[in-house]
Amino acid sequence: MNDADIDADVTDRQLLQRMSAGDRVALEVLYRGYHGRLCRFLARLTRRPDVIEEVINDCLWIAWQKAGTFHGDSRVSTWLMGIAYRCGLKALRQHGDEPVEDDARPEQRTPAHDLDDDRELRDWLGKGLDRLSADQRVVIELVYGVGHTLDEVAVIMQCPVGTVKARLFHARVKLRNVLPALAGDAPVHKENLP
Amino acid sequence: MTFSANSDRDCLRAWESMPWVLQGSATPEQGEWLQAHLAQCAACRAEYAQQSRLRQALLLPPDVSVDANVGLGRLLARLDMPEPQPEPAPLRFGGRPGSWLNRALVAVVLLQALGIGGLGLKLWSADSSPLYRTFSQASAPTAAGAIRVVPDAAMSVADWNALLHALKLKVVDGPNDVGAYTVAPASPASAPGTLQRLRATRGIRLAEPVTGAP
Repeated sequence: MNDADIDADVTDRQLLQRMSAGDRVALEVLYRGYHGRLCRFLARLTRRPDVIEEVINDCLWIAWQKAGTFHGDSRVSTWLMGIAYRCGLKALRQHGDEPVEDDARPEQRTPAHDLDDDRELRDWLGKGLDRLSADQRVVIELVYGVGHTLDEVAVIMQCPVGTVKARLFHARVKLRNVLPALAGDAPVHKENLP
Repeated sequence: MTFSANSDRDCLRAWESMPWVLQGSATPEQGEWLQAHLAQCAACRAEYAQQSRLRQALLLPPDVSVDANVGLGRLLARLDMPEPQPEPAPLRFGGRPGSWLNRALVAVVLLQALGIGGLGLKLWSADSSPLYRTFSQASAPTAAGAIRVVPDAAMSVADWNALLHALKLKVVDGPNDVGAYTVAPASPASAPGTLQRLRATRGIRLAEPVTGAP
């Protein structure tokens, strides 16, 4: 954890402390601070904006309710991601993980400001992630996207570190095998590499 | 997955360290080692380039549009909503549909309990002595002066009755499986020599006094 992470965690803890005293401004600050991160994380689980918003609100609702009981065993971001993960799985069970009108209006999937390179990169990533299981997508997002360590991912997903390692390994092998072809490159493999 | 040579072990080490070097949580030594390995391994260089692209793609803003202001407004409105009341207890009599069913079930259970209690009381009060006797148990008391007698099969009933009458005896048990009767004096003052007279009587095959133990 670098200095920036430590500073961010200190700020988050202060926000939780204020929230436990009923400070709604602190909740707003935390909400806005995590909205983008949670949105991107949950977008790996579902394409439905309504479900993503519902899960984000459930997550921050629980954070509001439980702010006073946060013991600080982990970073606040780890704690929040864990809540979001569990809420996301629950929402998937309730709503299913099928997108709503996702393919019917593809222009809504891509932000208007998306450059061509970004769009190409996003498509490349999307096709790769489609080959992964939900848990593998979550691990990839938490490690590469959010920047969590193996231990933190294990806390978030409430599973042993070995399980996280295995999910990360298999996800990387799958992506390594499909992404070069999706980019039009010839895969460069050693025969005995993973 | 097999890594037989040193170079392959290095490739495995490089493979494992890539995510942490990319996200900045690896030590400077790990980063330097990886860069040195990449400089001489084309396969790992390609893998690292792909990993970098993967991370770059994952850091793009989400392509699903969710308005933070709208969501926050809904959350704040939710905070102002009254707390949901806890569900009433499921077993309450009256005022709820289906309460008649609960009542009927309780009545059935009570009836069963009463029936089982009555049956238990009846069994408890009944004679609990078994219909058999063990060798360790004391034998049934025998009448004083009882004699076990085996009359001949050819002896008539009239002769048997006349004999009992003459000796003032009565049958208290028998006949058993071998045709033996147990007879005892009809009055406490039995005539002496009854046993000898029985033995001397024609038609009596056996006459033995009954003792306590077999």
